[in-house]
Amino acid sequence: MDLFLQFLTNGLINGAFYALSALGLTLIFGLMRVVNFAHGEMYMLGGVLGWFFTTHLGLNFFLSVALVAAVMAAFGLLIDRFLIERLRGEGEEPGILFTIGLSIFLANVTLLVVGPAPLKVAGAVPEGALFIGPIIVTKLRLMAVAVGIALMIATHALIRHTRLGQAMRATFQDPMAASLSGIRVARVHAATFALGCTLAALSGMLLASIYSAQASVGGLVSLKSFVVVILGGMGSFPGAVVGGLLLGVAESLWGGYVATGMVDVIGFVLVILILLFRPQGLFSSSSERA
Amino acid sequence: MSQTATQPPVLSVEQIHVAYGSTAALHGISFEVHKGETVALIGANGAGKSTTLRAISGLLKLRSGAIRFEGRDIANQPPDKVVAAGIAHCPEERHVWPAMTVEENLNLGAFLCRSRAEREQRIGMAYHRFPRLRERARQLAGTLSGGEQQMLAIARALMSEPSLLMLDEPSLGLSPKMADEVFDVVRAINGHGVTVLLVEQNIYNALDVASRAYVVETGRTRAARPAAALRSDPELLRAYLGG
Ligand SMILES: Nc1ncnc2c1ncn2[C@@H]1O[C@H](COP(=O)(O)OP(=O)(O)O)[C@@H](O)[C@H]1O
Ligand SMILES: [Mg+2]
Repeated sequence: MDLFLQFLTNGLINGAFYALSALGLTLIFGLMRVVNFAHGEMYMLGGVLGWFFTTHLGLNFFLSVALVAAVMAAFGLLIDRFLIERLRGEGEEPGILFTIGLSIFLANVTLLVVGPAPLKVAGAVPEGALFIGPIIVTKLRLMAVAVGIALMIATHALIRHTRLGQAMRATFQDPMAASLSGIRVARVHAATFALGCTLAALSGMLLASIYSAQASVGGLVSLKSFVVVILGGMGSFPGAVVGGLLLGVAESLWGGYVATGMVDVIGFVLVILILLFRPQGLFSSSSERA
Repeated sequence: MSQTATQPPVLSVEQIHVAYGSTAALHGISFEVHKGETVALIGANGAGKSTTLRAISGLLKLRSGAIRFEGRDIANQPPDKVVAAGIAHCPEERHVWPAMTVEENLNLGAFLCRSRAEREQRIGMAYHRFPRLRERARQLAGTLSGGEQQMLAIARALMSEPSLLMLDEPSLGLSPKMADEVFDVVRAINGHGVTVLLVEQNIYNALDVASRAYVVETGRTRAARPAAALRSDPELLRAYLGG
């Protein structure tokens, strides 16, 4: 039983980062209908930039979080403004081809610049374990999860309660009506893409403070984010959160009780099951859109 | 032909040409709207009435032609600039945001108004004009009846406090009773000094509300008449509308 609780905790912790990353992907898909295959590279860049700011430059962790967010938001804005903007209204295929190309480009440029070795993000707190009843958690993990949860809450508040968030929901539900109300739809798209990239990057940075960042990790992260989004329901905010936690726990239990070597398979097993029994995902996105 | 002909029109559309991709839809639409008027664009399905409104509100670009509003050239301005200039476009088939509440829909109708207090005051005015919307304030717009959605769409368009309101087929899909209510609302709005440009399939209702009407046929304006003259001349109407 104690072991189970430990696995559950580990799973929920990993799941929180899956959720954060998938949130970015589901926003971009739900609002812009762009299937972003470069999502994992945004995550990877977050980790690498986090390493650069904390370990390489020796900056404070929280300052680095803010810097990573700023850099990646600007990067996302530029990509949308100068590249994705041109593909708008052309259907999904050009977007897919573009983001696949972008992912290859980003992964290889990063490889060229920082090399293939794992890069560690210096965390906010020293190493060391906390004992909560029978469960052991490192302070580092707890800290990272707390930041991740805070980011999710902030994103939710942004979407629910700010003018930008309202404009995003309006654009998602009916872009023409949004235009006619004076909302600049192109800007909303750019902001959404920037937000999605930022969430992926911060997820990558937080997780790299627990594990490490690596130029080649993007592909797997993209796949897992897609798994979460399919589990939760395309475009659904609660779906991304629940889907992320579910994937984290499933992987942790599978790794703990069945086979460590095949953890990455479990996500695809879940996807096959959900496509068989509930193809719209756990949360259908029509009820609680983005 | 109108009593205000001496004053410059608030809206003048001159020989506009618009295409969807490579398919031309408008081949020269021209008309004028004077301050305080209700002008109707009538014509068969596919004639180009909605396209004309979309060109004015900036959803579609012009190939050629000119659009002037209150003396300013607004041709090819983006929609937010057109709204800011004082034109609201209530589109065909309502297009309310289905997964937002009535109140959120109204609030977003005043997106360009930065002051929260001002927005709330306008929402209060919308509820005053449409009491049924107040009862449904917290309900999702997608769950409203067709008539209520139309009222919401009009109320939302008014949230930008336009001086010109463009309504595209506001009676589409409504029961005759609901349609009458909608036209009563249009009269009341016009009575409050808002100039109205009305597109309607329901010609007799349109001619009832409007002071003048233009007949649109396959992307061109064919005739401009006082509404009363058109109404009392079924032969003319039939000739133009093929019905
Ligand atoms: N979104 C569109 N894409 C391509 N063609 C369109 C589109 N909307 C309208 N059209 C075409 O433009 C012409 C005018 O249509 P429209 O302005 O909708 O007419 P009306 O509102 O008078 O019924 C029609 O031939 C129609 O088929
Ligand atoms: Mg039409």
